[in-house]
Amino acid sequence: MKVQAAKKVHYDSGPNMTPLVDVVMVILIFLMLVGSFSSAEWYLVSNLPFKAKGAGSTNVPPGFIPDEPLEIRVDQPDPTRWVASAGRIQVGDSASLRAALNKMRLEFNATGTPTDKVQVVLAPGRMVKYEYLIRVYEAAMDAKFTKIAFATAH
Amino acid sequence: MKKHKMPDMKEGGVNVTPLIDVVMCLIIFFMLVARIGVSRGTDNKIEIPSSILGMKIEDMGNTLTLNVRQGAMDEPMVTALVENQVREIKLREDRGSGVSYPLRSVLQSFRKIKGDLFKVIIRAPRDLPYRFIEPVLITCAEADVKNVNFNTKKGSEEPAETPVAMGGLQ
Repeated sequence: MKVQAAKKVHYDSGPNMTPLVDVVMVILIFLMLVGSFSSAEWYLVSNLPFKAKGAGSTNVPPGFIPDEPLEIRVDQPDPTRWVASAGRIQVGDSASLRAALNKMRLEFNATGTPTDKVQVVLAPGRMVKYEYLIRVYEAAMDAKFTKIAFATAH
Repeated sequence: MKKHKMPDMKEGGVNVTPLIDVVMCLIIFFMLVARIGVSRGTDNKIEIPSSILGMKIEDMGNTLTLNVRQGAMDEPMVTALVENQVREIKLREDRGSGVSYPLRSVLQSFRKIKGDLFKVIIRAPRDLPYRFIEPVLITCAEADVKNVNFNTKKGSEEPAETPVAMGGLQ
């Protein structure tokens, strides 16, 4: 019995693709390792980062109506918790603060003050952790307040 | 005349054409999406707080990232990418001839170049007390920086806290 296949001459057609595949694979692995993609970070934006307390020396134009202030005092009674006080409210968790600020915003709106005319000022204590300030800031943002600023520490 | 007949072509091995197609597509995708060698002077060792709200900044070219840490002498230590080099920028420097404010000067020069589009990104550790952030915010205000962004991680709802029963919502 003759084995036909073994006797046939083998011809390769076209260019040798092996080096190309090698190089392309190296480039692919390099890009996957080195490249940084859309990160899991974002930003809380403040268009008015800081607001000094007390009377300022700036000359205001005639007819200027100042924004309605809403001061939120932030304290840290111990390293594991924070307390935010604004007017009659005093809360220590984000959900309650969000609800309270929402209610306050609606009260402002009901008395004819639009939300963009309310200036929220966060007045933290010197020792309050940045993380807690972010929570309070976030709660104010979530309550749809647009002007949020930090004030000098108390 | 004897006619030469072309031998039958036999392809050996696996057909790699679809593989190359797919790999090329992946390479083009990675080249378009990946940001390689672009440094914003971000200190990735800082453990930033998380937030459930936030937004992306599209024009990162107009931003300056300030890495704020606790420094010596109860003052913040601010580092940033200035002149292609990440270096410490002091808030206040006492010299023999007088006092200078390097951070304010840097912010003012950026503000002058970028105009109203200039944004500052503050990147601070989650447990950093406010007394270290306050001077940086004051300096931003003094340099007339209109837009300050607080860098946070995309997070879920905060862990359960013990509500503080003091007054509450009335």
